[in-house]
Amino acid sequence: MIVTSLVLGPILIGLALFALPKSADGAAKWIGVLVAAAACALLTFEPSAPDASLPWLSRPFTAAYHFGYGPVSYWLALLLALTTVCALVALRAPRVREYTAQMLVLQGAMTGVFLAKDLMLFALFWDFMLIPVFMLMIGWGLPVGGRGHRTAAWRYLIYNLVGGLCLLLATAAFGVVHGSTDIIGNTHAGVAIGETWGLWIFAGFAFAFLVKTPVFPFHTWMPDTYAELPPSVVAVVSAVQSKAGLYGFLAIGLPFLGVEMHRAAGIMIALGLISLVYGALTALTQTDAKRIVAYSSLSHLGLILIAIFSFNPLALAGAAVYIIAHGLFSGALFLTLGFVERREETRSLDRLGGLGFENPKLGGALMLAALAALGLPGLAGFAGELLILTGLYAAGLWLVVIVALVPVVIAAAYMLRLFQRVMNGPKVADLPERKDLSWMEGLALAPLVIGFVLLGLNPGPIASLAGHAAEAVLSASQESSHVVLSAVR
Amino acid sequence: MSSSAPYVSSTDLGALWPTFVIAATALVALVFDLFMGKGIVRRYFAVVIAAIGLVIGGVMTAQQYGHPVVAFDGAYIVGGFSVVFSEIAIVATLITLGLGIGIGRDDQVAGTTALVLWSTCGAMLMAGASNLMMVFLGLELLSLGLYCLCGMSIRTTAREAALKYLLLSSMASGFLLYGMALLFGATGAVDFAAIAATAPSPLIALGAGLFLVGLAFKLSLVPFHVWTPDVYEGAPLSVTAYMSIVTKAGTLAVLARFIYAALPPSTAAAILVPLWTVAAISMIVGNLAALSQTDMKRLLAYSGIAQVGYIVAAFAGQTALGLRYAIFYLGAYTVMNLGAFAVLALMMKDADGTVGLGRFAGLAYRRPWLAAAMTFFLLGLAGLPPTAGFTGKILILASSVGAGFAWLAGLLILGTAISAYVYFKIVRAMFVRVDEAHVRDERSTNPLPWISIAVCALALFAFGLYPLAPSDVLPFVK
Repeated sequence: MIVTSLVLGPILIGLALFALPKSADGAAKWIGVLVAAAACALLTFEPSAPDASLPWLSRPFTAAYHFGYGPVSYWLALLLALTTVCALVALRAPRVREYTAQMLVLQGAMTGVFLAKDLMLFALFWDFMLIPVFMLMIGWGLPVGGRGHRTAAWRYLIYNLVGGLCLLLATAAFGVVHGSTDIIGNTHAGVAIGETWGLWIFAGFAFAFLVKTPVFPFHTWMPDTYAELPPSVVAVVSAVQSKAGLYGFLAIGLPFLGVEMHRAAGIMIALGLISLVYGALTALTQTDAKRIVAYSSLSHLGLILIAIFSFNPLALAGAAVYIIAHGLFSGALFLTLGFVERREETRSLDRLGGLGFENPKLGGALMLAALAALGLPGLAGFAGELLILTGLYAAGLWLVVIVALVPVVIAAAYMLRLFQRVMNGPKVADLPERKDLSWMEGLALAPLVIGFVLLGLNPGPIASLAGHAAEAVLSASQESSHVVLSAVR
Repeated sequence: MSSSAPYVSSTDLGALWPTFVIAATALVALVFDLFMGKGIVRRYFAVVIAAIGLVIGGVMTAQQYGHPVVAFDGAYIVGGFSVVFSEIAIVATLITLGLGIGIGRDDQVAGTTALVLWSTCGAMLMAGASNLMMVFLGLELLSLGLYCLCGMSIRTTAREAALKYLLLSSMASGFLLYGMALLFGATGAVDFAAIAATAPSPLIALGAGLFLVGLAFKLSLVPFHVWTPDVYEGAPLSVTAYMSIVTKAGTLAVLARFIYAALPPSTAAAILVPLWTVAAISMIVGNLAALSQTDMKRLLAYSGIAQVGYIVAAFAGQTALGLRYAIFYLGAYTVMNLGAFAVLALMMKDADGTVGLGRFAGLAYRRPWLAAAMTFFLLGLAGLPPTAGFTGKILILASSVGAGFAWLAGLLILGTAISAYVYFKIVRAMFVRVDEAHVRDERSTNPLPWISIAVCALALFAFGLYPLAPSDVLPFVK
């Protein structure tokens, strides 16, 4: 019941918001905040809510409306609810009522992706979550230059929809071959897909996940989308939606397609490394503040991909920590840059500068988020990176560790460059006086900042939960892969 | 049959009763129209009588479900399969009559309504036909009314459309008849069951091939589709909506029964490969051609070509599940397509005309509910959740993968990806702010399409969550 209401509640309330009178904009925003906060509270105080399950299909394979918490998905749902609260508090836009409604639908759909325990349900919400983002983008996108948000919205939609359709096909094939899709989180399902189908099904899933994350060379939709989405949406999309692909590898790939995952490990690690290095180097050269963070995301998520394909429990625990950490600090970064843009009406580093002298609070917020992103010890980014790198080393991938260390260092360069060009540096002459961070904006940032500070000081809960889950999954998948391999031989 | 048995027994007639009721309703509407005065009352009267007849016919048809009757020595089988297709035809007829309260001028409505009802009878005959003669009878009854209806309007495009439809449809009938003649020559039988029992020969393959070409014409599968966009554009809106569902439902019923009942699986595999290929081409070409359309009727025509491709793809492998999912998807297509047509009807002052894509610009700000409804139907057509379009598509994917037609499933995915651009082009137009002065904002005075929209949207959502596919259809096919 609790789990179902986490998914359906925001969607239904979001749709109901459309029925409010147009004058109720302010009320709509706070209803949205309340709903997201209620989701947060439910998750925090009921961490062991039972699964909700209803039968759905019996032919051609069994499927169920099955929602429930998993070791990683619980934290992702919590992160999503928290980010949505912050994004909605920070929200300031025309037609707030519709905006809030779409944000709530987005929250419900994404919670559905994470809490779905049935592959078909997962695919359903996977496709569904595209729609509110597309709507938000065409309704409130920030047109930059010539053709503006129209092309970016198309690229986002078509790219991700093709991924979603491949996921759909793979899900259907999985259902036909295995006979049931009600398997997520059930490590003892005894899934053996076999040689002929396994590779195709994995390819379908992997394509969808890689596009969503995104990972080089499927990332081309991402920088434009992130740059042109309004700040509140991009905070949620970059913080949480981009994790859906990685979550897919963890929750579907590892337990059920272990053999194929091992086979693809070489390619995936290579793609992860390319994303890691390419993202970092490109971030160094960008002049659009949001694009810097977008490319830094590409870089960070590449590292997580490598961690997942190292099949080392420590690295996987690190991946879980870093997934949450990245969500917290990238959400904070995008929201802060949104505040900057709200004041200066530009994101170009060439036209910004010296903002921090008169706006110390705003400067402090950006500094904190940037430090978390570059991996300062004590903040969440460091905890994740350290666990991942140690895990990779333990897995014997020391060459990868050496290459991966370089972009981790470059991260300091581009993040500090971003801070310095926006907050320090020569003050732009014609800059009018701006108010410093308002209490509302501070309120929006506070939960995220507190989150990544706390997680940096004590990554234990997430790390141990995810680590134990990873060990269980790895041992189970090793057993099954032994069985399959011996059967093949 | 013994010689003492009557040619027509009461069981035979019982199977036809629902069709009789609807056909007789048409006569009632025509006769009473003679005594009606002028004006709007006349319109409503004809349509209300037709609606009553359709509802009675629909209930009677529904009562046949689960009670198989083999009538006319196996020429006409009702019970499960035919009921589903008949009901789709009846519901579609009801909705299309409501789109513009009948078709044509006030003094024409009774006549056009009668034609529509008789065409529906034709579709119902096709749904039950399991004999070549019966198929032809039903198909011609369906088509004859439509030739007249297409030419109802005084616009030249309508005349052109009617003539084009008549000529090309006659050609398709020619193919169909030639195929039937060859099948009869090869097997000496007209019953599907008897054809299936005959040993395969090249002549049967040729006959079946020509028969299928005829059906492909009627279904407007690529490359037999060229007539469709022009005819859809020229015909009045209600007629276009009617053709897009009822013709397809009737023809798909014949196609399904022919594939499942008349072709034994041993020979069918080879004969039907061209059909799957044509379905695959339709999915791709239909969607590609829809990309460049600027007129909604033409766009829906091309999208319909692709959607029929998806449905035919579900028959691949002749599996029982494939048949169920084809029917499910046809039901889903019925509600989402008719829903989209109902939205168009609300955007037109009179039902005789067309809606350009430009009319959708900024619709969400002028008429938010209409835009929301259209968005929902377009999501369904694009196969996205939370609609029956999504569920239907994953079921078709599963059945074609399960039947060993993974390539068909792959092409279906490709076609769907292309179609997303087609449908979201309209969604984007609706939600982008525009200068109101440049947009023509026509409104229909007829509120009935709102009922269709509500029913269709509800069904589209409910079937998406609960895929209600008729479970025991296959036994009634043979």
